[in-house]
Amino acid sequence: MDLQILKLDEQYILNQCTKFLARTNTDNRHNFGQFNNDSIRAQIAESWRFPLLDSYSDGNDPVKSYNQNRVTFVYRHLRDNQPQSVSVIGSFANLYEAIPLQPVTFLEEPTGYYALTILVPKGEVHIYKYIVDSQAILDPINPQQITLDNGQIWSRFFTAFCTQPLCFDDWEYAILKRLVNRILPFRTKEGQNFIERYYNFLDSQSKDSLYPHAYRLDESVGAANFIDNILAREENHYLIDYKICLAQIDRILRQRNPFIEPAIMPREVYMDLYNEMSTDVVEGWNYNQYNSPLYFLQLLRRHTFTGAFAHPKYGGNIGAAGWAYLSERYSDSQKTLFDWRQAIEQPLGVNSDYHG
Amino acid sequence: METQFDVVIIGSGAGGSPIAHTLVQAGKSVLILDKGPLLKPQYQNADGLSDFKRDELFADGPAKRITHNVANKGEAFYSSHIEPDINDEPHIYEEADGRELATIEGYTAQVVGGGTQLYGAVSLRFSPLDFRLQSFNAGRGDLVNDPNGDVQTEARDWPISYDNLEPYYVKAEQLVGINGTAPNQLKPFSKDNYQPPLEPNPISRYAKTGMEWLGKNTSNRESVLPYRTPLAVITRDHAPSGRKVPSDPETIKTSYVNRYGCPLGLKSNTWVSLLSPIANSSNFEIRPNCCVTRLECQGDKISRVVYLDPAGKERVVEGKIVIVACSAIESVRLLKISAESDPEFERRINQNDLLGKYFLTHCFGGASAIMPDRSDKSKALDADWAIDCCATEEFLKSKGLWAGGAVYNNTSDRALPISLGRNHRSTDLDTLWKGFIEDTSLVGDDLAQFLDNTVGRGLSVSFMANQLPLKRNRIELHPTVKDKWGRPVAYIRKIWHPHDQYLMSTLAQCCGDVLRFGVDPAGGTFQIEGQGGVYQAPNGLARIANHILGGARFGTDRNDSVLDPFCRAWDFDNLYVTDGSFMPTSGGANPTLTIQANSFRIADELLKRL
Repeated sequence: MDLQILKLDEQYILNQCTKFLARTNTDNRHNFGQFNNDSIRAQIAESWRFPLLDSYSDGNDPVKSYNQNRVTFVYRHLRDNQPQSVSVIGSFANLYEAIPLQPVTFLEEPTGYYALTILVPKGEVHIYKYIVDSQAILDPINPQQITLDNGQIWSRFFTAFCTQPLCFDDWEYAILKRLVNRILPFRTKEGQNFIERYYNFLDSQSKDSLYPHAYRLDESVGAANFIDNILAREENHYLIDYKICLAQIDRILRQRNPFIEPAIMPREVYMDLYNEMSTDVVEGWNYNQYNSPLYFLQLLRRHTFTGAFAHPKYGGNIGAAGWAYLSERYSDSQKTLFDWRQAIEQPLGVNSDYHG
Repeated sequence: METQFDVVIIGSGAGGSPIAHTLVQAGKSVLILDKGPLLKPQYQNADGLSDFKRDELFADGPAKRITHNVANKGEAFYSSHIEPDINDEPHIYEEADGRELATIEGYTAQVVGGGTQLYGAVSLRFSPLDFRLQSFNAGRGDLVNDPNGDVQTEARDWPISYDNLEPYYVKAEQLVGINGTAPNQLKPFSKDNYQPPLEPNPISRYAKTGMEWLGKNTSNRESVLPYRTPLAVITRDHAPSGRKVPSDPETIKTSYVNRYGCPLGLKSNTWVSLLSPIANSSNFEIRPNCCVTRLECQGDKISRVVYLDPAGKERVVEGKIVIVACSAIESVRLLKISAESDPEFERRINQNDLLGKYFLTHCFGGASAIMPDRSDKSKALDADWAIDCCATEEFLKSKGLWAGGAVYNNTSDRALPISLGRNHRSTDLDTLWKGFIEDTSLVGDDLAQFLDNTVGRGLSVSFMANQLPLKRNRIELHPTVKDKWGRPVAYIRKIWHPHDQYLMSTLAQCCGDVLRFGVDPAGGTFQIEGQGGVYQAPNGLARIANHILGGARFGTDRNDSVLDPFCRAWDFDNLYVTDGSFMPTSGGANPTLTIQANSFRIADELLKRL
């Protein structure tokens, strides 16, 4: 595999680093429960942004380039003695070859930031480590880590349009999908018609690889997948809420219906559960373990609605199905009254001036 | 590395950029320091991509939680990618009950271009009356809800008149790049530099009809008519900045305008309009990601500007002239922090007790309604129609008001799907999502119904009016809360005067009438969702609309102002403050164009002494 390394853009790196990383205060201001208080990540803002993920164009054909992300690794050396070398090894490169990060300067002086920008296809998950003066270390900034079968811990990142499972076991994902379906309007008769037609449409289009992972399109239009993505990265501090509450829901549903798997229980079961959660009184709920099912429901509502209608690069709204639903539902005799395509970049939308 | 410049400007927004633009072209050496990143539009990047995206999750990012020890500790907040992180650099404000809360309100964007990157781009001139509210109100006995005569005590005329500023409005309108129409505006134009507006969104016809009704029914001797709201978005190729528009200018309308940076550089932020044309000049330099921490003086001269570079290393530069333009709250904060560490600076900047006092925002509010039919609101800029009927002397006297304001309709609000949820029943940036997540009845079929009722049907009409200046409304340094550099953060202490509340209710009624008569011109019986002023919001004391003004007002009397008529601090020779903090009254319109025009005026003055 040929790894494509892009020319380092120092202004771009500093633009992304100053706000989040530069500081003298060492309070744990950014710990919402997801970090140990001795972690540097508790002190810096939005550590999840690293490595930096961005869109890519070769400068000639943004549509052709659309299937790739720019990924920028940033290492910040905090101790006084600057390292002799900083490089990265990872599953995106050949045989884990070490690829050097370059020092980033400001006014011709070193900043202590080291960076490297490479291209990675969308929809992928990768593991990596930094090699600092021949010592392999986890990324001190990026909180995403994964423990491999051999027990080794690696740093992890994933690119846009990711549909690989990141946070949930199958049973958790199945319950999550049912809850999400309860909230979204796609379970209505028209909604279901729409989904079926749209799914078929995407299927016939899939050969041009525009919607490579449409198989996860369902009544949730990928909102459950969005939730999986956002809990793995931007809002990792809420993952614990999902873990606890999905387990409770699984237990409660099994108590109520001992002979059916929660994933395939009738719709009414989930409607009842939703209604109970909205009153904050759920029979069988362990309030000592999690004191407000309503709080979790509210979290789920925001994530679900966002997932259905955010840009598809975040993993929901797959194939722009959420937007397409609105576009079809709202139209007059001649045209749609939600023409999302005209503002959005190609190949997802039709705007040829904006490149995404 | 250069460390000495003719002019050092702190902040690259509306207050700083016009000065850089003018002085660089006159051959002076200029350095701009900006705390934020330099994010470029597509056409300035070799790969043809921008750091700004048409992406609803850019406007308000993922949930974070407030971790400061304040009354709203633990609550979620959602900030734009270029707004500060509240945990790193909060604004603290004081509630009516004395509790202290952290807020995102009162920040413009921290990015090169400042607030002009995210603003809705409404670029109205102030009215001639806005410049002489003290004279206008002298001796009046008809002012409602002003039992102590605060209007007469506290209103100030500006040290300049509309006529003084008018040539600079003309200059700003040309150089910034603004579309709109001049006829029907009740402000004299010596020249009309507007680019033609785009076709209004179909939903705005209701606003137009309603404004036509309002213009005939607001106690004005002659009917007042609406005009196309001036917006700082180019609709034609713009020669002064070299910007080009898409082959079909109508495609500019995307509703990714207010609160979004423009990836195509069509929104006329100060980076693309004023700084890019000088960016390659050898006598100009901009250092993004550089946070100025204090100014130092020797006698009446600012001798050193101390800043932290992108890695947090302290550096120093010097300028013959130093311009502070980092938005009113942050400028006052910088001056106060500088005074804390330097007794000489302290003595000079606090030669009276006015620094930080008379902080102003706007009286703002309006009305909203669900229109009978649907339009494609995803094709809009921010505001289509505006009217000046609530800013005339006749109107003000008929209502017992001290000052008035502009009325315009918002087209791009609730235009995109996530914003429908995020803004459901929420009134401000501090309560995003709250209404939607708590309204658990919006589920399944009922959520479909909610979308049916709202997608493409919401229309709101806003007013933007003068707030009465009060000395107790002020910016201080917070005694305990520090930013990520260990510097005290800004503490906002303000209230609404009863006359402000009356003014807001009166203008909200006018906005409501625009909607009621817009749909039912004959009877005005159309049911609207609601109307009101910002003071009625649950956190009405925090609400600022990012129009942060006053706190270092200019004037002709050194005992009554912080700055002289050319925005120079009274006891300094080379220190100027040119963001919205110079304003003694807040004007009856969005302030950006006036800040820009004033900065062009100051630039001409600086040329005389450099």
